Amino acid sequence: MDLTERDRPRPSASEAAPSYALEALTRRFPGVTAVDRAKLSVRRGELHGIIGRNGAGKSVLVSMIAGVIRPTSGRILVGGKEIDTARYSPGRARDLGIALIPQEPHFATALSVTDNLFMGRSVTNRLGFSQAAAMQRKAEEIIATLGIDARPSDRIAELPLESQQLLAFGRAVFVDRARAVLLDEITASLSQVRKLELLRLLHSLLAETADLSFTLISHHIAEIMEFCDRVTVMRDGRSVATIEVAETNEQELAGWIVGDADQAESKQAETAPRRTAAPILSLAGLSAGRSFQGLDLEIHEREVVGFAGLEGSGQNAAVEALFGLVTPTAGEMKLAGKPVEFRSPRDALDAGIAYLPRHREAHGVVQNLSVEVNTLLSAYDGYRRPLGFLKRREGRRMARQRSEHLAVKAPSIDAPIDNLSGGNKQKVLINRLALVKPRLFLLNEPTRGVDIASKPALLAVVRDELAAASGVVMLSESEEELIAVCDRILVFFKGEVREILERGTPGFTVGRLYELIQGVQRS
Amino acid sequence: MIDVARLASLIVERHLIWVLLIGIALIGLTMPGFFSVRNMINLLWAASPLGCMVLGLFFVLLTGGLDLSLESIFAAAPTVAIVLALQTLGEGIWPGFAIVLALGLGALAGLLNGAFAVKLGVNAFLVTLATLLIFRGIVIYLIPEGVYYLPPEITWLGGARLFDVVPVAILVWIALYIAAWAIVDRHKLGKDIYALGNNADAAYIAGINIDRARIKVFVIAGFLASVGGILEVGRLQSVTADMGQGDILMVFAGAILGGTSLQGGVGRVSGIFAAVLVIAMIGNLMNLYGVEPSVRQIVFGFVLLSAIWLASLQGRLRLGRGTDP
Repeated sequence: MDLTERDRPRPSASEAAPSYALEALTRRFPGVTAVDRAKLSVRRGELHGIIGRNGAGKSVLVSMIAGVIRPTSGRILVGGKEIDTARYSPGRARDLGIALIPQEPHFATALSVTDNLFMGRSVTNRLGFSQAAAMQRKAEEIIATLGIDARPSDRIAELPLESQQLLAFGRAVFVDRARAVLLDEITASLSQVRKLELLRLLHSLLAETADLSFTLISHHIAEIMEFCDRVTVMRDGRSVATIEVAETNEQELAGWIVGDADQAESKQAETAPRRTAAPILSLAGLSAGRSFQGLDLEIHEREVVGFAGLEGSGQNAAVEALFGLVTPTAGEMKLAGKPVEFRSPRDALDAGIAYLPRHREAHGVVQNLSVEVNTLLSAYDGYRRPLGFLKRREGRRMARQRSEHLAVKAPSIDAPIDNLSGGNKQKVLINRLALVKPRLFLLNEPTRGVDIASKPALLAVVRDELAAASGVVMLSESEEELIAVCDRILVFFKGEVREILERGTPGFTVGRLYELIQGVQRS
Repeated sequence: MIDVARLASLIVERHLIWVLLIGIALIGLTMPGFFSVRNMINLLWAASPLGCMVLGLFFVLLTGGLDLSLESIFAAAPTVAIVLALQTLGEGIWPGFAIVLALGLGALAGLLNGAFAVKLGVNAFLVTLATLLIFRGIVIYLIPEGVYYLPPEITWLGGARLFDVVPVAILVWIALYIAAWAIVDRHKLGKDIYALGNNADAAYIAGINIDRARIKVFVIAGFLASVGGILEVGRLQSVTADMGQGDILMVFAGAILGGTSLQGGVGRVSGIFAAVLVIAMIGNLMNLYGVEPSVRQIVFGFVLLSAIWLASLQGRLRLGRGTDP
């Protein structure tokens, strides 16, 4: 029995060996230690949570448990036995009864629910013919147990993502008979009612099956409090604490997650807000269906406004609505006092609003094309002659000037953008926006996928250059970044702005911001 | 030393068509008379209609679309224009007006394809498969027996020689390729097309009107197919109901051999120009060697197959490079 001092046996798990355990598990990538000597012991019969902020190392940790990423050092024990990490693989993990349910399950999208549930595990008779009727019945059972609105013959791609994720869960538990099931943000897209149903299902499964355990990976404090027996907190790649959920509260947990690194007010807190008189953009009661509601905001020149919130809290849809990618269903948007309505990104760009998309490769970079073309892409209208032919020399000069200005590291502006690093690609995209000379920059996760060393420079560009003559709206998953750069931060919670933090007021701290994002009520 | 592997991959990826062109030319040396001025002029002359269609398809492929109906527009635009100008409008009209009409009809047919494919969001394959049949049907309905006596104003572009030496058709063909190069390389539309073909979502967010660009390439393709049709009509001094029928496969072969990607976003005008030359030379050589028509088909089948193989090879190389850290 491998119980540490902290562990207090639960009645249902009193005699159980750990379902699996990690000892000093470490994973280094060039330049970073993603997971640093992590320790974790999940009991049989337990619902164990893993929580931490973005970049705390949760997903790397979980990938190691599931055999997707190999550890650099450390031990993984399953059912008390050490496994050979050098030869560990997802296939081995499955044989050992470990299953990871990812946020976006991999299914054969064109096939039916039944086919996907039994893929590679068909029920066959002696001649090798699959027994369709038997699988169909089993599929119906699984669907009913999970409470999904679907039929076995439905094509899986036609089901909502939440149902797909639940089916992946069902496949792991009922078909593959997994014994240690890791659930990555499974509740993210579930309604409150469905969440409770799932919770009940998890508990009844634990009660029925002696050697089962669930590990829940989550961003959400509230969910951990609601679902789990114990929780392990990850911070900066380390497992800093394992806590009995019954003995803690949300605020204490938030404290563990953020750590005591910056209980002090932010360094720039004394700087007064830089707001000037007339707002560039004003929003009154702007709403978009269920995504976000009642957004009131005035954005001024020379200020950086942060949108913060958990994934799916509405801040993403809000910024997209400002650029014509999401159509508002109610409310008003005024640009320099005049009501505006954007039907496409072109409309927004023409009105002086530029947008840096969140998914750089999918929505920003145009692959195969040069740095020059990628830089000029939104501004070609400014370099055209009467018949639409381009003033090439002028365009090249501007592209070169901008690239030098932000020190884009590329062999030349004619080099394809594909070979640039994440940070340099991002600089090219920021140049693309800057060449439009917008009155308002919308930056959705500007440091996403940018290596740590390049982040400060990028944030300095946002604050010192983009905000020098324009307004900026910035989204970030990093509370530190928002506190470092923003003058005001709107905290979105369940589609509404729950609170606004102002630079220079008490509470403009990473810790407080994190609590607000999580919806933690102060006691 | 030069990095041989890199050079090789660069050649396969970008310039293979030129290697092929040189290879075919070397084979040509074995055939006396192949490189005679007369034979070269005939070869280029015969290739010019195909060259126009390949150029049209090239534009559509760059955006990631495709157009099967080009071979039918190739016949339908001149046919309808000639019937309108010579029969319906009758004597009073200048016969050369038929050319203007044909070009307009080609563009209109392209607009129809584009509007259906883009505005209704129907797969371009299906839309142009339907219009392939419709346009061909119109030709067969209007001129089941063909038209053999055409006024010189109509056949001038495709049939006349400048100073009794250089066929006008070759000059038209080359002029179109230069214009296409200018659009692709120097025009806003070219930038839009490449961006759209490589990443449509990013192009849209960057403010490009992707629907309009998509429709424009169909219009360009329809226009170019009608130019090709006019050249063919002039060269043959007639219009027949089966003109261009089945050519679309060779048009695809030309575009793909020339390095145009079916996924969109990749391809150069110079590449497809060389590819058209390669196809024309192969045909011409087989002619000179007296290869039987049935065998000729087999050879072109292999040319198509090699084009597809090359396309896959190029795709792989490009992917391989993209995933390097």
